[in-house]
Amino acid sequence: MTEKTIWQVWTENAERNPESDAIIHWKAGEDPFRWTKKSLLATALKFSYLLKQNGIKRDQVCAIIIRHNPMFYPLYMGIVGLGAIPAVLAYPNPRLHPDKFRQGIIGMSQRSGLDYIFTEKELEPIISPLIQSSTIKGLHFPLEWDQSAEIPQADLEEIELARREIKPSDPILLQHSSGTTGLQKPVLLSHSAVIRHVEYYSESINLTAEDKIVSWLPLYHDMGLIAAYHLPLAYGIPTVQIDPFEWVIAPVLQLEAISAEKATLCWLPNFAYNMLADKVFDDELEGVSLASMRMIINCSEPVRAESHRRFIERFTQYKLNPLSLATCYAMAETTFGVTQSAPGEVPKQVYADREMLKQGKLKLVDDPTNARVCVSSGKVIKGCDVRIVGDKRETLPSDTFGEIAIKSVSMFDGYRNYPEKTAEVLEDGWYYSGDYGFVLDGECYVIGRKKDIIIVAGKNIYPEDVEDTVSQVEGVLPGRVIAFGTDDEALGTEVVCVIAESNITDEKEKKELRMRILQATLANDETVGRVYIVPSRWLIKSSAGKPSRKANRERIDEHKEYLVV
Amino acid sequence: MISDKLKKAILTELKLDDFTIEDATMANQIPGWDSLNHINVITAIEKDYGLRFKAIEVLKCKNIGDLQKLIDSKQNK
Repeated sequence: MTEKTIWQVWTENAERNPESDAIIHWKAGEDPFRWTKKSLLATALKFSYLLKQNGIKRDQVCAIIIRHNPMFYPLYMGIVGLGAIPAVLAYPNPRLHPDKFRQGIIGMSQRSGLDYIFTEKELEPIISPLIQSSTIKGLHFPLEWDQSAEIPQADLEEIELARREIKPSDPILLQHSSGTTGLQKPVLLSHSAVIRHVEYYSESINLTAEDKIVSWLPLYHDMGLIAAYHLPLAYGIPTVQIDPFEWVIAPVLQLEAISAEKATLCWLPNFAYNMLADKVFDDELEGVSLASMRMIINCSEPVRAESHRRFIERFTQYKLNPLSLATCYAMAETTFGVTQSAPGEVPKQVYADREMLKQGKLKLVDDPTNARVCVSSGKVIKGCDVRIVGDKRETLPSDTFGEIAIKSVSMFDGYRNYPEKTAEVLEDGWYYSGDYGFVLDGECYVIGRKKDIIIVAGKNIYPEDVEDTVSQVEGVLPGRVIAFGTDDEALGTEVVCVIAESNITDEKEKKELRMRILQATLANDETVGRVYIVPSRWLIKSSAGKPSRKANRERIDEHKEYLVV
Repeated sequence: MISDKLKKAILTELKLDDFTIEDATMANQIPGWDSLNHINVITAIEKDYGLRFKAIEVLKCKNIGDLQKLIDSKQNK
């Protein structure tokens, strides 16, 4: 399977089962739109032709910024079919300031070398100014394209000829791994990396032709793009795609889709377990059955035991098999999965002494009091290797707390046009993840991260971005701000906290300042959960002279009086 | 027009002292009303009005004005 291109794999699947479902495009309140393998591939071919007509060439990076739409899938495939490189970008949230959105696109274009943007007419006024000031050569609106024309034979032959020249080692897609605004890291993956990953990861979850995936995960994220899109397309099983924007408003949609389509698999970030368990009510679940689900895979770092417990407790009455809850550890740099818990088995759990963990040491205990429950993300999948390393990247005994380093046959080749960042994380074929954890009896436990990145509902937020914004708010002493994340067990994710120095002492004015901070961060699509206003010179500085996140985070725990509500 | 009752329910749930909410205001323009908080806000409104919304009804609301109309239509039934 590895010596093929993805298009060849898609073609073989369509020839084998032309009329079977490939993608079921789910939309609330409407009948789903069903792509068969044959109709999907035929429309993808049509898009390849239309792309060629619009001057798109092999190896050019084609960013797609389109909301949940059935034409997204064949467009993406049509780009691949031409040997160009699709890169799915997030459609801007309406609250995101256009300048901030443009700043992100410019940053991406500089690194990724974005050649074209395929989007909706609505975004034209926001994006078109970028054509003069970035690598972007043109803006296209593929949803407006006329699909009715037949492909002339000569063009068909040209496309097929061009396609035959694509090698398995050529790039198939570009994903953006996390980074501060404008500095997202572009990850380029080859056809063979994706195909090999599908092969090995499928083995780890005992995938069969009877499986069916349900997903609301955005396709600009590796979990959505690889696990819930490329994997089913390459393996030849159906995937039900739900609109992420609709899911956050009505998470019940996912349960309805599972029940109606008798789905067997899904991947979720940790907060989704809490959301589904706590925010879906019985009167919405009449007739819903989760009995078909074989694996519900938690792909977060860390996996929270409490979220699984609540989910099981909530949905057992809807025929959820408690043994279907599984875990995995994944990242864009290794295509997707690195470890996976065994199908049909409860992921292992151990207790680690909390105080020792704070000091960067692992001490397993039997008594759960004052211990942190660590949930295993499973065993290393075929084609991957994991080791635990210390500060100097020296190998530590695996049951020691340290950074997780990974080797994978599906490894990326480095961040595109970002050699200095690649050199930071890739050495002698090992990828240094920046995640902290340990390995015990072959099971990988991921429990923290090296950087101060805050993960809110699966979205990476960089404290630097929040601090820069808050620093400019009137009433805040410039540069005298720190941001950090703190666990919210009820939500199953982190919330962003801000400590800002100010000379304001009046309580009413403090509340007004809090509101200005909330509004300023809102324009960057960041929700701040807690605001602490502290007096001048309150923040502890690090040796570099900057306010220390770690020290101040610990200090504020003892000073809740500064919380403004 | 947004009623004081709806405005109060939203502001209380989001712990905001004041914020201008008009018909055209979209949920995600209100500080704190994000994907994680969305259902909490809707549940608070349901509780205040003694109503239940179907997920699809809420999905159809493009702004707070639509939400107000939905509440009004349910109350008039």
